[in-house]
Amino acid sequence: MPEPSAQPLIEADVIGRLMGQPLLARFPMEGSVSGHHRSPHRGSSVEFAEYRNYVPGDDIRRLDWRVFARTDRYYLKEFEAETNLRCYVVLDCSGSMGFTGEHGSRLDYAKRIAATLSYLIINQGDAAGLLHVTDKSEPEIPPRRNASHLQVILDALGKAQSNGGTHLVPMLHELAEKARRRALVVILSDCFCNGEGLRDALQHLRYQKHDLALFHLLDPLELDFEFDRPVRFVDMEGSQSIVTEPATVRAEYQAQLKHFLEKLRHDCHEFNADYRRVTTDQTYDQVLADFLADRARQATRS
Amino acid sequence: MFLEPFISSFLGNLLLGGFLLSLPIIIHLINRMRHKPKQWAAMQFLLAATRSSTSHARLRNLLILLMRMLAVLALFLFLQRPQFGGWLGWALGGTPDVILLLVDRSASMESRITGADESRRKYALKMLADAAGKFENKSHLVLLDSATRKAHEIATASSLLELPNTQPTDTAADIPAMLQTALDWLIENKAGTAEIWIASDLQASNWQPNDPRWENLVTAYDLLPQTVRVRLLATTQKSPGNASISVTQLSRQQSSGSGEVRLTADLKRTDTSPVTATINRTLNGVTTEFETRAAGQFTRWRHRFAVGDQAGGWGKLELPADGNPRDNVTYYRYSDDHSPAGLVVTESELGPLWQSAASTAGRDARTPAKHHAPADAAPADLHDATLVVWQAPLPGGEMANALRRFAEEGGRVIFFPPGKADTARFVGLGWGENQSAGNDGFTVGRWDEDQGPLANTEEGLLLPLAQLGVRKRQQVVGQAAVLAAFDDGQALLLRQSIGQGEVYFCTTLPLLTWSEMGNGLVIVPMLQRLLAAGSRRLQRDSFAKCGEIGAVDLQLEWTSAETSQRGDLQTQAGVYQSGDRWLVVNRPDSEDEFERVEDSAVAGLFGTLPFQLFQAQRDDTPLPSEIWRLVLFLMLLALMVEAWLIRPGSVPEAVPPKTQPATA
Repeated sequence: MPEPSAQPLIEADVIGRLMGQPLLARFPMEGSVSGHHRSPHRGSSVEFAEYRNYVPGDDIRRLDWRVFARTDRYYLKEFEAETNLRCYVVLDCSGSMGFTGEHGSRLDYAKRIAATLSYLIINQGDAAGLLHVTDKSEPEIPPRRNASHLQVILDALGKAQSNGGTHLVPMLHELAEKARRRALVVILSDCFCNGEGLRDALQHLRYQKHDLALFHLLDPLELDFEFDRPVRFVDMEGSQSIVTEPATVRAEYQAQLKHFLEKLRHDCHEFNADYRRVTTDQTYDQVLADFLADRARQATRS
Repeated sequence: MFLEPFISSFLGNLLLGGFLLSLPIIIHLINRMRHKPKQWAAMQFLLAATRSSTSHARLRNLLILLMRMLAVLALFLFLQRPQFGGWLGWALGGTPDVILLLVDRSASMESRITGADESRRKYALKMLADAAGKFENKSHLVLLDSATRKAHEIATASSLLELPNTQPTDTAADIPAMLQTALDWLIENKAGTAEIWIASDLQASNWQPNDPRWENLVTAYDLLPQTVRVRLLATTQKSPGNASISVTQLSRQQSSGSGEVRLTADLKRTDTSPVTATINRTLNGVTTEFETRAAGQFTRWRHRFAVGDQAGGWGKLELPADGNPRDNVTYYRYSDDHSPAGLVVTESELGPLWQSAASTAGRDARTPAKHHAPADAAPADLHDATLVVWQAPLPGGEMANALRRFAEEGGRVIFFPPGKADTARFVGLGWGENQSAGNDGFTVGRWDEDQGPLANTEEGLLLPLAQLGVRKRQQVVGQAAVLAAFDDGQALLLRQSIGQGEVYFCTTLPLLTWSEMGNGLVIVPMLQRLLAAGSRRLQRDSFAKCGEIGAVDLQLEWTSAETSQRGDLQTQAGVYQSGDRWLVVNRPDSEDEFERVEDSAVAGLFGTLPFQLFQAQRDDTPLPSEIWRLVLFLMLLALMVEAWLIRPGSVPEAVPPKTQPATA
């Protein structure tokens, strides 16, 4: 069982750099309050709320000039077309997430991304929740907007440990069923599970109109498979072990891995999921910065 | 003298080579054993990769291992500078400290090789010199020839062709004795690793495969602290047809008042087709040509010639040139210094009969043999005798010793049954029980018709042994050569050789109650021949075999009667004279035997010793040459293949080495 990292989950300088860029959804969201995100609802009740008197400081672009022409008074027209974002951060805590390479533990890396994302989301007035994917029944932390909720999430992240097999697929299906409103689902996982099952789960989530972002976390060692002597490989999610000469199986291993990665990328592309392959030698703040920037670009385009 | 570190020995090299050869395997196994455990997440891909690439990877690994081993082996071979080709074959044992060159110089080695116009000895010497030349700077070369059986260290291999100790001789070779000498030399000189190179034509009489010495030799070699490897160069190539001649009997007799020499010569041929053989007889410098019909492989030529009153003379019989010039000559000498004389020792009434049968012919009349009762017989009576007829209980004490000396000097002794069993023994033989026949009597079934006292007459007529009726006989106890036997296998006449003479036991008596031998048709020629044969004892000139000259004779100074110069009678046949002493030296009869030892039998003789046989007839390949270039090439080839197998390019890059975030 790997020890929890001593490094703080949230770093002030990272937050400072990332706060300038809001996290935007790529698709209309169904929030409960006003926000920065487009709503899927158009027309009657939702589209027009009320008229109110102009007070100094209001944006004059929102003045209803027609009412002013008729009544010679300043009124503002209120809409509820922009709503808030509900984000579910899904953290894979299976045994394989405990893989520790030269650049640290994969789970720690995932935790920092989850914590920073949660902070950014709550800080911009949206709701963030957390789902642990373990073989134990960890309580789900539903998305909430208040600042105190962030501490709940951070506490949960601090206690999270990698253990057991991967239950990502059933967890995602469960989430798809449970989250009725459109939400942003951020998945942090190594995805070392049944590829077809994962594909179905992603499809299920997309069917429920959720915006998907998959952070596929890999260690460089897993990709390069650079070993100079025979190694006894012990399965992190079971008791299986194998002694092999890495040089002899390297080509075939990389071929198998490449096929898996390509297929996962293809599946994500097919369901319009935001697939991001991340290696743990990258700095997580840069990964998040790229993520936010890409989202902003896509939101602007749409 | 040649103490070297053990590491330089063959065993050391073998161990070093084995260790080097197994080095890649050991490294491989150590690598496999020192694997480190690693917690691994992407196990599903690793398992799949292992499953699909196991067989291919295993084959590739094996190939790499094989190439590495081959490279190490080639390096080891390269450092050893192995010899390849020729009779040395693969010389992987490294350079020995000593190479003992055992050269067979027997007469049979002078037979010519078909198409080569050189003798087997010369061919063998060339091969030895060429092979040993590659070691002469690294190993001690020691020559041990079959004639002198003395070891001499030689400086250069090329001198082998010129050394006196490698020149042709008329001797026979005793290979077990040579190996014993080699063994003694190795022990005495505390030699290090050694190789024994033997050059021989595998003549069975030289190798004596049934000799018990072989077993002791192999055991002794096995017990040596160092490794001794034996290489045998068998010069068994085909030869042109060959014939040999040797005088087997010679006597000077008085006939019709004149001296006459009767000699018997044996002709042995490799061909079986009947031919007319030409024999050149040289007598006192005068050569006369004779012809005789040779029907098979063996022909006995009986020849007599008048010598008048000549006191003595010498000569030789010679065959025309053929496959082996060395066995075409045989020497002889006759003299009449003493006439044969018989001595009869018996108490029975047969005394006069023995005396008549063993009488000798004088110039005017026949002289009967002397007759004594057993109690009266004294050693002094043997002084002038050539034959002793003894029909009494076997002698004992001083008389027995005198009789033994008499036989060893060349005399002949024949014992007839005393009629009673006795525990006494003479030269291992004694009298057993009497046996009486039924109405049919005992019939003589077979006897030696070619030689001995029962041989055919000069006219080729059989002695009437088949018609000889025998009613009673006395068994002989002990082992001896049977010259005549009854139908039931029991012996009539036995012979025991002792020194230069022979002892006979006849199992019946010329009495009517015993046999019909009293008619004289068998007993007279038998005793007369023994008389003549025994006369050699009294002749001043002696007969000897080349290579078997007594130590006393060797100390004398001998002059060849043929060349009037000093001669080496130990190695060269001829008639030699020292003062008034004559010595006729011929090659041993065994050298005229053409039988060879089979390959498998030869290999079996050396037991567990490292042994390699090169049959010149069968394995006639070029002379040995170093193959280090080939070995070096093999090493480079193995390394190149190994490099190709482990080259980085052989593993395709399936995943980019540095991953970047990708957005779907």
